[in-house]
Amino acid sequence: MFPATWSRLSRLASSSRGRRTLSLFSSSGSSNWSKVVSDAEKIVGYPTSFMSLRCLLSDELSNVAMHVRKLVGTQHPLLNTARGFVYDSKNNLQMRGLVVLLLSKAAGPSSAAIDLHPQDMVSGIYPSQRNLAEITELIHTAFLVHRGIVNLKEWTLSDGSLKDMQFGNKMAVLSGDFLLANACTGLAQLNNTKVVEMISSAIGDLVQGIYYENNNNEENALAGGVDVASWEEQAFLSHGALLAKSCQAAMELVKHDKEAQRLAYKYGKHLSLGHKLNSDLQPFVKSSAGEPESFSLSSAPVLFHRQIVGPERWQQQLQQATTLRNQLDYSQLLAVVKSEKGVSSAVDLCCYHSNRALEAIQAFPSSEARAALENIASAITKF
Amino acid sequence: MAAPWWRQCRRWGTNFPSGNVFDSVWCFSGRPACASASSLSRRTSSWSSAPGPEGKPLLALARHPKTLNINSFLIRHKSRLLYPTQQWCCCRMTHSDAKPKDPFMLAQRDLTSLYDDIKKELFVSKEELKNLCDYYFDGKGKAIRPMIVVLMARALNIHSNRSGDLLPGQRVVAMISEMIHTASLVHDDVIDGSDKRRGKRTINEVWGERKAILAGDFILSAATIALARIGNTTVVKVLSQVIEDLVRGEFMQLGSKENENERFKHYLEKTFKKTASLIANSCKAVSILVNSDPEVHEIAYQYGRNVGIAFQLVDDVLDFTSGANQLGKPSAADLKLGLATGPVLFACQQFPELHAMIMRRFSSKGDVDRAWQYVLQSDGVQQTSFLAQRYCQEAIRQVSRLRPSPERDALIALTEMVLTRDK
Repeated sequence: MFPATWSRLSRLASSSRGRRTLSLFSSSGSSNWSKVVSDAEKIVGYPTSFMSLRCLLSDELSNVAMHVRKLVGTQHPLLNTARGFVYDSKNNLQMRGLVVLLLSKAAGPSSAAIDLHPQDMVSGIYPSQRNLAEITELIHTAFLVHRGIVNLKEWTLSDGSLKDMQFGNKMAVLSGDFLLANACTGLAQLNNTKVVEMISSAIGDLVQGIYYENNNNEENALAGGVDVASWEEQAFLSHGALLAKSCQAAMELVKHDKEAQRLAYKYGKHLSLGHKLNSDLQPFVKSSAGEPESFSLSSAPVLFHRQIVGPERWQQQLQQATTLRNQLDYSQLLAVVKSEKGVSSAVDLCCYHSNRALEAIQAFPSSEARAALENIASAITKF
Repeated sequence: MAAPWWRQCRRWGTNFPSGNVFDSVWCFSGRPACASASSLSRRTSSWSSAPGPEGKPLLALARHPKTLNINSFLIRHKSRLLYPTQQWCCCRMTHSDAKPKDPFMLAQRDLTSLYDDIKKELFVSKEELKNLCDYYFDGKGKAIRPMIVVLMARALNIHSNRSGDLLPGQRVVAMISEMIHTASLVHDDVIDGSDKRRGKRTINEVWGERKAILAGDFILSAATIALARIGNTTVVKVLSQVIEDLVRGEFMQLGSKENENERFKHYLEKTFKKTASLIANSCKAVSILVNSDPEVHEIAYQYGRNVGIAFQLVDDVLDFTSGANQLGKPSAADLKLGLATGPVLFACQQFPELHAMIMRRFSSKGDVDRAWQYVLQSDGVQQTSFLAQRYCQEAIRQVSRLRPSPERDALIALTEMVLTRDK
């Protein structure tokens, strides 16, 4: 999600809070992304190994791990997702947990809750908020796993054995369900039905978002495609709702007032949207001269481009970029999209969301946790 | 075979709620716990070829399972399936004092809007996803879980000196029980690769696996939202335990145990997690909403747990005895999935040849047919039915501790329906 290239691109720099560059390739950010994250991790106490050991060491998941070995050599997506748990080279799986913890710390001790004592806090964070951060990660991971289910009817024999795919699906359904079930029992232990409701509704949002995502990739992308407004709605469901509602829940959990909850939600929402724009933009801003990779036709820069040039010209451009073998020449299409304003519009939107996130966090008292949240919100506009 | 099965059964039964249950079920030393229990034993007596005084046949069956007249059982069993109403009448008569009504009728007034209420909870803007989520809430399901929940809720309300009318939260629990059940069905069908359910094509068959999984997840999230809105943290804990049990039960189905005793224990535990936990904990949840006495919660829980296990045991029997399509799925479906259920585990005691097949999950060619034959030649089917009866008797014993009410008696009558159902 936060590609490693960031660290290469944004190494120059002195911290300049509040003054964010809008230009594409400048790298006057605070510091590189991994430093932002590792600094933030120090602030919240212990390292962000949220994927609860309880779950990873359970009989159930060791069982899955044993079975997943059988999938080696097949093309089932579960294999890659499972690799991600270990290597985590490209995807920062635990970003959401980290943000929840930083917000918890930035909001400080609770003044309203009688049954919460400051001495229960570890590094300025209540145990229930730590559990919530872990639950957020469990849910996110569960859906990474469920996203990797394969439609068996679309599977042709040349792709590999159907049996392997069936087996991979079985493992993916079970392990995703296992993570979700643990999230449910974990939520129940938080003893706050409002929080249960918020997070459950985030799960519903996530499902709807992923459902949209599937549909677009399959059918709409080439034909019509969605417009920018529905892109935002959909990106919120699939990428923003969980973080936004978890941030809000972290406030509700220790009885911070409605305003704190609203701001936390706002921060989570805009950070996620900016983050999503950043990753959508990656194929278009990379300066590397390597192999042109494919990109999603429903990614933000393409949608902006389509809106700017109009659907008719876009259809022409698509046809021009289609090779004789009826395949898309992505490097040609990339050049077409880059030649217009689609990319810079997406960058503008990314900066807008970054600014809204920064705005939201200003209401919290100045602290190193808040500074870390500011750094993260700034980092999403660095390419 | 080292020990007679009934002795093993005692060992398997270690997680059975009370130690005396077995002795009372076994020998009927005292008066039967209630009229329906004696009706059960009377019916059982026809299974044994040897006539004996009331109550004894159970013991005879237990001690000499192999002397059983299998043919007469099968005929008897089939005739039961053919004439469920006849059984129902006989059950009615045994409760002449309380005039129990048909549980379906009694529960109906609380369940008329069940499916509409569920569909309202499944609020999605995207039309296709909405259709997927509503797919099984077409009013054609048995809705046995909500039925048990509303009857239990009314019985408990009366037990707690209130009017029987459902509290709003109790009504929601009934709805949630059906939603959680359905969500798990949708996922199970993907896991098992099933293409038919309730005489309909499965969601994965029509829309593909990816969408099916998302629909299941969405139904579950809607259920937990409704659960949270009840606003009771204990109820939330009790019902989220169900979700965890369902998954753990599914995981238990992946493995087989080498040791026979362990295998049966594993089977019963899996049965509890996959089927009974939902019923038990939903019953417990409605009791928490009306009564603060933990003993009452335990009665509700134990009734649900015992009925739930009996329900699944009967289901496993029907997989062997019911013709294709009656359950909405082909028979011997479990064997084909590599699962060894009660009838097979019992049969394995008479035909040790089954052991190897169980261990390889009936994966070699001809395994399913051979295992099927062994089961029908053995008394695995009737021993499983017998076990189901014992769980029902325990359910009756538990619920009889509640103050009498038409709903309580309907819950007792319902155990009979669980045992005699044919689909």
